[in-house]
Amino acid sequence: MSSYLPRALLFALLTALVAFPLGYFGKPWMGWALFYIGLSVQLAYHYRNFSRLERWSRQPMLDASLEGDGEWDSVFRRLYSHEKELLAKIEQRERDIARLIAAVHVMNDGVVLLDGFFQIQFCNKTAERQLGLDSHTDRGLPISNIVRQPEFIDYIDRRDFTRPLILRLERYFERVLSLYVIAYAEDSWLLQVKDVTQTDKLDRMRRDFVANVSHELRTPLTVLAGFLETLQEIDFDPDERQRYLSLMAEQSKRMQSIVQDLLTLSSIESAPPPENDLVDMGSLLDKLRRDAEALSDGRHQIVLESQGEGDLRGCEPELVSAFANLVANAVRYTPAGGTVTLSWKVAPEGAEFAVRDTGIGIDPKHIPRLTERFYRVDRGRSRDAGGTGLGLAIVKHSLSRHQATLEITSKLGEGSCFAARFPASRVAIGGG
Amino acid sequence: MPDSQHVSSQFDEDLSRLRSHVLQMGGLVETQVAAAIDAYTNGEVASVKSIVETDRRVNELEKAIDDDCAHIIAKRQPTASDLRLVLGISKIVTDLERAGDEAKKIAKGVRRIYEGGHLPAQYGVGIRHLAEAALNLVRQALDAFARLDAEQAKTVIRLDSDVDVEFKSIIRQLITHMMEDPRTITTSIDIITIARAIERIGDHAKNVSEQVIYVVEGRDIRHIKEAAK
Repeated sequence: MSSYLPRALLFALLTALVAFPLGYFGKPWMGWALFYIGLSVQLAYHYRNFSRLERWSRQPMLDASLEGDGEWDSVFRRLYSHEKELLAKIEQRERDIARLIAAVHVMNDGVVLLDGFFQIQFCNKTAERQLGLDSHTDRGLPISNIVRQPEFIDYIDRRDFTRPLILRLERYFERVLSLYVIAYAEDSWLLQVKDVTQTDKLDRMRRDFVANVSHELRTPLTVLAGFLETLQEIDFDPDERQRYLSLMAEQSKRMQSIVQDLLTLSSIESAPPPENDLVDMGSLLDKLRRDAEALSDGRHQIVLESQGEGDLRGCEPELVSAFANLVANAVRYTPAGGTVTLSWKVAPEGAEFAVRDTGIGIDPKHIPRLTERFYRVDRGRSRDAGGTGLGLAIVKHSLSRHQATLEITSKLGEGSCFAARFPASRVAIGGG
Repeated sequence: MPDSQHVSSQFDEDLSRLRSHVLQMGGLVETQVAAAIDAYTNGEVASVKSIVETDRRVNELEKAIDDDCAHIIAKRQPTASDLRLVLGISKIVTDLERAGDEAKKIAKGVRRIYEGGHLPAQYGVGIRHLAEAALNLVRQALDAFARLDAEQAKTVIRLDSDVDVEFKSIIRQLITHMMEDPRTITTSIDIITIARAIERIGDHAKNVSEQVIYVVEGRDIRHIKEAAK
């Protein structure tokens, strides 16, 4: 730029220097003509470059390179590289934004950006799923046009977002969402949606648990109190007195076993991970069979099946009690004359201890809840059989501490199968 | 919005507020129907009261929206698609209000059954399925209206015939029950009332969808045979 003006002036001066003598010594019009021609050449040179720039500026593409002559070239090059930098920067920004948006889309929480009128500006995939939105068609729609629950509309209308809104969605049955509305930037709102279905369910389970414990303990307690009162007020003959006392003893034993099971459960829950003792399955299976036979007292056929050699690694007392519990259940819920099969299978991918019976079976609708504390298929029967309602909960806990799963399959009237599957890491092949 | 378009933007705002009100009313009706299903399946007779209370709000909204429609037509004299929107809305609210009334009928039927000491649950599965299908229709019809999506509206119309078929099969089943055991007649009649109300809710959803198509495409497809659509 700085050298351009002198050079342009120099060219004009040179033209004048050549033209002047010609005009002075020859015809003056020739001098003028030459001078004009000289200037025109300069003008043509500028015009050519200008038209190049003009053409390029219509579509400033990077692949159509911008080249000029002389002075113009450096200007063009600067312009070109400036454009290139700008485009690269824009591309980088776009990539950054796309990355951010992708991150927002994969968030576990739903995010909806709203303008000052609560119209949808953006929503991520999670929010689409949770609220039934569609980011293609719903941009610019008031959110309450799509999420139409009266509670939600009231919440938005009230403009008081100090507490989250807990929304039970009838749109998707049994979903519970917690909605936060947060002001951000200028006159914009962010709606954050958390799915709290699970927490809600846990809360309910905890409440149920407390209610259940109280109920389970109160029943025998009521019986005890009743008998005590009767015994205090009425004089019975020794035989009758004895009968009442033994009933009372039975009830207090029941309470004891409930409390014992509760303690076991809580100690398993809070205990450190189980040790890696070697549990000799051969003798354990033998013992389980003997226990089953004792409990059955000859009313059932007890079968032992074993496939492959291998022992378990884990905490022996816990495993013994879990297995014994499954066996005892099978014996209890199988009518006389039925068969209880204990099986132990070792395979490269893991091992399985299963108890199969030909008993009364379980309705499939109960199976998912069977390991919940105090869950009972049939309250009366379970208690008659002496159950506390905690057995399977303990079994499941002990097994999961050994990374094992409890799989229950059953058919009403045909029998059930409880299988504990252990991963290969818990199995010591060949008794080693 | 720029001031130069003040008049027309005010008009746009009026229209979008009107639409929001319709959808707000729709939300109330959806809640009513869902609560009625709840009452039926879980025997929550308490929700009957809330359905009746919601109905009052629905009625108020219907009147307010009708007023707004009349106002807009008188003051703005809308043309073309705007006019269709206003006309469509005035019909949609009628259908929504009636769907709400049907929900109320369901709730009252449930109360009658429970007060008679019976459990409708033994017919539960069929009715519940029917009711959920009808609720889904209402929801989709309202979504179609919110998005002015004619395709979704057409889906609703197609699905409504499934609901009708299911309704007929439930009726047949109930008739068999009544013939086998005349003691179930009282309960069965109540359940037929409920099933009929559910089926009507599906029909109202279909009507709403037809209006959505009218608003979007300008075609009136009421009372035209399936094939012609």
